[in-house]
Amino acid sequence: MSDPITLEIIQNSLQATSDEMFAAMRKTAMSSIIYEVLDMGTGITDAQGRIASSGAGIPAFIGVLDKSVQFILSKFGDDIRPNDVFITNDPWHGGVTHLNDLVLAMPVFADGAIIAWTANIAHNSDVGGMAPGSLSGDATEIFQEGLRLPAVKLIREGVTDQAVMDIITCNSRMPDFLLGDVWAAIAAVRIGAKRLEELSAKYTPSTFKAAMDSFMDFGEKTARAELAKLPKGTFELSEPQDDGRIYNVKITITDDEFIVDLRDNPDQDVGCTNTSRDGTIVCAQMLFKSVTDPDTPANEGSFRPLKVLTTEGTVFHAKEPAAIGFYFETEVRVYDLIWRCMAPHVPERLPAGHFSSICGTFVGGIHPDTGRQYTIIEPQIGGWGAWEGRDGNPCIFSGFHGETYNTPAEISEARNGLFIDRIALNTAPGGEGEFNGGRGLVLEYRIRTQSGFLTAGYTRSVVKPWSLNGGEEGSGNFVEVDKVTGETEHYAFVSGLGLTTDDVVRVITSSGAGFGDPKKRDPKAVEMDIKNGFVTRDRAREIHGYEEASK
Amino acid sequence: MTTTKRIATDVGGTFTDLVAIETGPEGMKITTAKSDTTPPNFETGVLNVMAKGGIDPKDVDFMVHGTTVVINALTERKGVTVGLITTEGFRDTIEIARGNRPDFFNLHYEKPEPFVPRYLRTEVPGRMTYLGTERIPLDLSGVSDIVTHFRAEGVQAVAISLLHSYANTAHEEAVLAEVQRLWPDVSIVASHQITREWREYERSNTAVLSAYVQPVAARYLGNLDDSLRAQGLPQSPYIMQSNCGVDSLAATSAVPITMVESGPASGFWGAAELGKLIDEPDILALDIGGTTAKCSLIEGGEVRIMTDYWIERSRKSAGYPIMVPVVDLVEIGNGGGSIAWVDDFDKLHVGPQSAGALPGPAAYGKGGTNATTTDANLWLGRINKDYFCGGAIDADMDSAGNALKAIGDKLGVSTDEAAQGIVRIANNNMVNALKLVSLNRGHDTRDFTLLAFGGGGAMHAVALGQELQVKKVVVPAAASVFSAWGMMMSDLRRDYFVTQLADLSEGSAMGIEGVFAKAEAEARATFKAEGVDPAKLTFLRYGKFRYQNQEHTTEVLLDGTVTDGALSKIADDFHGAYEREYTYRLDAPVEMVGIHLVARAEVGKLEMVPAPLGDADASVAVKGTRDVDYALEGKHSATIYDGEKLRAGMAFNGPAIIEDPGTTVVIHPNNTVSIDAYHNIHILLEGQS
Repeated sequence: MSDPITLEIIQNSLQATSDEMFAAMRKTAMSSIIYEVLDMGTGITDAQGRIASSGAGIPAFIGVLDKSVQFILSKFGDDIRPNDVFITNDPWHGGVTHLNDLVLAMPVFADGAIIAWTANIAHNSDVGGMAPGSLSGDATEIFQEGLRLPAVKLIREGVTDQAVMDIITCNSRMPDFLLGDVWAAIAAVRIGAKRLEELSAKYTPSTFKAAMDSFMDFGEKTARAELAKLPKGTFELSEPQDDGRIYNVKITITDDEFIVDLRDNPDQDVGCTNTSRDGTIVCAQMLFKSVTDPDTPANEGSFRPLKVLTTEGTVFHAKEPAAIGFYFETEVRVYDLIWRCMAPHVPERLPAGHFSSICGTFVGGIHPDTGRQYTIIEPQIGGWGAWEGRDGNPCIFSGFHGETYNTPAEISEARNGLFIDRIALNTAPGGEGEFNGGRGLVLEYRIRTQSGFLTAGYTRSVVKPWSLNGGEEGSGNFVEVDKVTGETEHYAFVSGLGLTTDDVVRVITSSGAGFGDPKKRDPKAVEMDIKNGFVTRDRAREIHGYEEASK
Repeated sequence: MTTTKRIATDVGGTFTDLVAIETGPEGMKITTAKSDTTPPNFETGVLNVMAKGGIDPKDVDFMVHGTTVVINALTERKGVTVGLITTEGFRDTIEIARGNRPDFFNLHYEKPEPFVPRYLRTEVPGRMTYLGTERIPLDLSGVSDIVTHFRAEGVQAVAISLLHSYANTAHEEAVLAEVQRLWPDVSIVASHQITREWREYERSNTAVLSAYVQPVAARYLGNLDDSLRAQGLPQSPYIMQSNCGVDSLAATSAVPITMVESGPASGFWGAAELGKLIDEPDILALDIGGTTAKCSLIEGGEVRIMTDYWIERSRKSAGYPIMVPVVDLVEIGNGGGSIAWVDDFDKLHVGPQSAGALPGPAAYGKGGTNATTTDANLWLGRINKDYFCGGAIDADMDSAGNALKAIGDKLGVSTDEAAQGIVRIANNNMVNALKLVSLNRGHDTRDFTLLAFGGGGAMHAVALGQELQVKKVVVPAAASVFSAWGMMMSDLRRDYFVTQLADLSEGSAMGIEGVFAKAEAEARATFKAEGVDPAKLTFLRYGKFRYQNQEHTTEVLLDGTVTDGALSKIADDFHGAYEREYTYRLDAPVEMVGIHLVARAEVGKLEMVPAPLGDADASVAVKGTRDVDYALEGKHSATIYDGEKLRAGMAFNGPAIIEDPGTTVVIHPNNTVSIDAYHNIHILLEGQS
């Protein structure tokens, strides 16, 4: 019964199942980073671990789950049974990202054979290691970043391996949260597996398999059709970083390949701003998808024309046991590097540079009303770049995050026991153009108890978001701390900074970059900018050459 | 027994509908009429349709009115200029929103623009805490300048939303009073008047959108009331709400945003009421119209009401939240007029684009060249080409055939196969939507009755019911005007949601009981002020619970007064409800996040009168036979029944088609059909009894 309509129906059902897993996990998670920030992803792979469908959430997580499943397949071979659930978090054991991200995967069987996998990934609040929240800018080895789970069975044929569960929870500073989050993840893979079993039983396993294959072939067909429209040749970009290092990319586009060559890059960092090769591939996949076909769901086929070259031992292909906690800042850099390299050549799909940092912010301490420990783990929102004909978006998540939500002040004050003095658009100069970059964020946390801490790691602080066609670059990301003693400190990277009552942590994220000459901006648009308080009259005169219409 | 006349009028984008039900010694008489909608003087259309239906306003005992005026003003951006007053440091909240990028691979994503530009967003100093205590006193000294600024900028309505007003309304009330003192005739709303739940973006946006439509809706309702009363209507009409209840015209005029999703609500309420009537309290309700299909789940006779409602939200856009009680529904772009199309990669899709009323499906013969679901249903013989739209339109089968052939050519299949494919894809889209409200929430569809209404519901219901293995399929009498019937079954209803954190531990019961008691007292006062007999008022108490540290809550129905002795049962009920939805339970502390109180009172609700069951022989209703293509089950010769001749007690077997002026019921082979005492059509699927 593998007529095209049946295949289409199965494919729609795969998407519905991924979405259902996502919704179930979101609603049951314990940690705000999962249920509110939605630092998580769900997906379905075929029997070989090729990604067939993924739920909403974070684009940077879509290309992770297939790599995890493939590792599990190679490690366990025939020792994979119905109702097993596997867990991994280690980048050298199929975990791709960092130790906080627990990946769970469950095989789906029909007639005694694996027909698919359901899987999910989510950022857990604390998996042990040298610092609360497991992330520390001071880490130099992965051993300092938490418990490593090298792809093991958490559930054997439906029976939880309590030893593994106990080891995981015992290694966490927040065992209750971790346990709740792991169960949310287990529930999600099980719900997904049940749906896929029903689907396969209804349409036969062979039709089910044919639908997955055809869906991936469709993904490839779409990608190739769009690849054909891209300019051919080799494009190269070298870009200095905030720390002075130079990153390099060479992109070669041929009729049937999109090659991202990252071999010529600095040695891996002694600290924790490294990424695994798998992580680098995920970044290239995201950008490739955005320049070819942003509209249809991604699957393994979508990425077939893509090839990524790296050198082991460099920041983009770190060797075990490198520290990797802040992998996301390295990944967002390589993602933005590819974007910037392609932007002048694909203007219809790529705007000017955005704030382009996760702006990972960790604030912790004791809740003064409940006496319980709180930990805020948040990516920030910021300004996006303009493009021909449109100003950039104000305050949305970076290209790394997608269906991710910021935390309301009202909930943060209740949950974390601090005060939010301000959540506003950042109106600092920057990002002007014929079309302006969108505004970044100003967010102020006022600490209410002693012995709090701040850890943060922002890039695009020194080297600002890049403009296009003569626009202005963005304003830059950083953190300020107004000490209760009166002085103000300024940071881009800071680890475990002590905070006390009435200290104010001010998160400031960049505007997006501008597009086109600011002098060409429509005077009516400039007038509205002035009226709305986005630009002062003086700055408007200086940057836009604005002169008030005589009345 | 005296005669009672109830009417429901429903103003849609194109047509204004009327249903009148007269109950008296001779039983029940139903009249329907349809007339053009007459913007901007919508009341004219209402009077027209009443005249057309032969209804004299003087004789009407009870009138319910439903309207899309609010949702239309929002989606067409036809509201007024709004000024916002908020807490110092938070004037950008409605522009920052939640920061999400649903269309995440699209780097040219366009974030929705706020409804109030920055220069009309103002701030006042003063802070409450999440516990409802004052941290920084309110400073009203700037309000006078704000009002002057708003007046100079042409502001027509003011919204007020201050931080933590869900926990303590005092600051919002003070700002409200001050603005009203300075500007007595301005249209104004404060967020706490609409919702008492946390999340400042959602609450602020709700206040802003309410202010945005307030003058428009107040004018609409005022004109409607004036002209009906001038014609002698004895009592102002009740207004249909999004929470499946009706509310008084005066209360609705004050906070009209509660009407936003009232269209679908009446149908789902009708489904709940019909379920009780036929002793099927667990219902999967499906409403298929011209452009969309909507579904909702009813358990134990109760609709599920939530405050997580967004407009214009999709995979492509973050949309805008409106934190008002709305029936929990899933809506997809699949209706009778949905256009089938083949993409660049030879994949067939149905919807969400619709052919609308003009040009409509190709078979309308009004120049439409796109194949729609309706064209496919015609081609397969499911709809009678000689009785198209109740005989009102001559089906243009050549156009339908050409449109379907074009689809078939692109797919490399025959015209018949193309038509089957369209029906199957449309059915699959609807099955997925039905799963979202049932299986995805831990409900087993085998325990539910599928109730299908709207113009297209009955055409697809059996196929969907078979796929979901529901208990049975029911098509209500007068399915095409079922929503209007639902309006007449509605109670005066208000849903109160209040955020209030509480542990479920010894000693906390009193605090929880206090929140309910306070909300109930507020409800009693409001109902009393409207002249509702207090004896008629009933309450349903729901608690919103979660495991400590979670965010999302599960609603649990509470039984009676909350005492310390009852807490363990409440926790048990939560564990059970949680496990059913999410497959596991935790040994973790349970906490309450807030309450949901339903207050309702019957106001002139319709009493249905059963007809005596007659002979099972349905042959008097048979019109003939024709070949019908059932897609997966192939072609069969089906018996055609005239729906208007079916009587209580009749029974027959499929394959069959029931034709009614407003709808077509497709009965598959091996189905058995019976007509109940209220003329509803019960369809048992294969192997059921």
